[in-house]
Amino acid sequence: MATWTWFHRLASPPHVYAFARRWTPWFGGCAAVAIVVALYGGLVLAPADYQQKDAFRMVYVHAPTAWLSLMIYTTMAIAAAVGLIWRMKVAHAAAAACAPVGAWMTVAALGTGMLYGKPMWGTYWVWDPRLTAELVLLFLYFGYMGLRAGIEDPVKADKASAVLAVVGVINVPIIKFSVEWWNSLHQTATVMQMGKPKMDFDMLWPLLLMLLGFLLYFITVLLIRLRAELLRRERNASWVREVLA
Amino acid sequence: MNEFLEMGGYGKYLWPTFALGIGVVILNLVLALNSLAAAKQEARRRLEMPQ
Repeated sequence: MATWTWFHRLASPPHVYAFARRWTPWFGGCAAVAIVVALYGGLVLAPADYQQKDAFRMVYVHAPTAWLSLMIYTTMAIAAAVGLIWRMKVAHAAAAACAPVGAWMTVAALGTGMLYGKPMWGTYWVWDPRLTAELVLLFLYFGYMGLRAGIEDPVKADKASAVLAVVGVINVPIIKFSVEWWNSLHQTATVMQMGKPKMDFDMLWPLLLMLLGFLLYFITVLLIRLRAELLRRERNASWVREVLA
Repeated sequence: MNEFLEMGGYGKYLWPTFALGIGVVILNLVLALNSLAAAKQEARRRLEMPQ
């Protein structure tokens, strides 16, 4: 019963708007603290790696952006599927709010990966399975946003883009497991693996804290964008008048 | 200080990496806030509320 009440509230735009407005500063504040502490930990406190030396510190930016690029796409696909199945307007709005953030995180993951790749592999780019699949992810985000922008009727835009988001989610496990399925220059999982991570704790904690900070940061930006999406969608609702008064 | 900036010779790759990552984080926040401000303004205009 309580679950259904919660689900119904999630489908109510005024409730979601109020929730987003209330919680944005908290998520944002915690994200900022986590990222700043993790930056200090990663750049100053963590010891240099015995193989990659100080270059390994690039992982503190590269891994969180890459991880977020995948997590945001997965979130977008789940929201889009919920929107399709239950015809929930808020879910479509959430999916639409995810796309630009995810696209920028993919750009950051590719860019930081190129800068990390040059000193480690001797080249900025190779058509390696992991790198190529991540580039495909960027095109999926572009496709999703382009499709939304290209269809004038918002209901049709929601449906068509949701189908693309759901179908495209197949790329997420391809990216994740590409380093195991094919020969790849990219290293295999260091933290996200079963059992003990391969990293020493002094190097690991800033990375885990940075991942948490980026996750909280994504929630912050998502809540802000979701509010914007809800305002654009709710044409003449009285609650819009109330929150803007 | 110089030693810290040089990062064992990897500074020329490391600092642009951090600049790009943090830059994208800040940019996304600014874009989201701008989008919300624009949506509020647009809704006020639509509902004929005072700006």
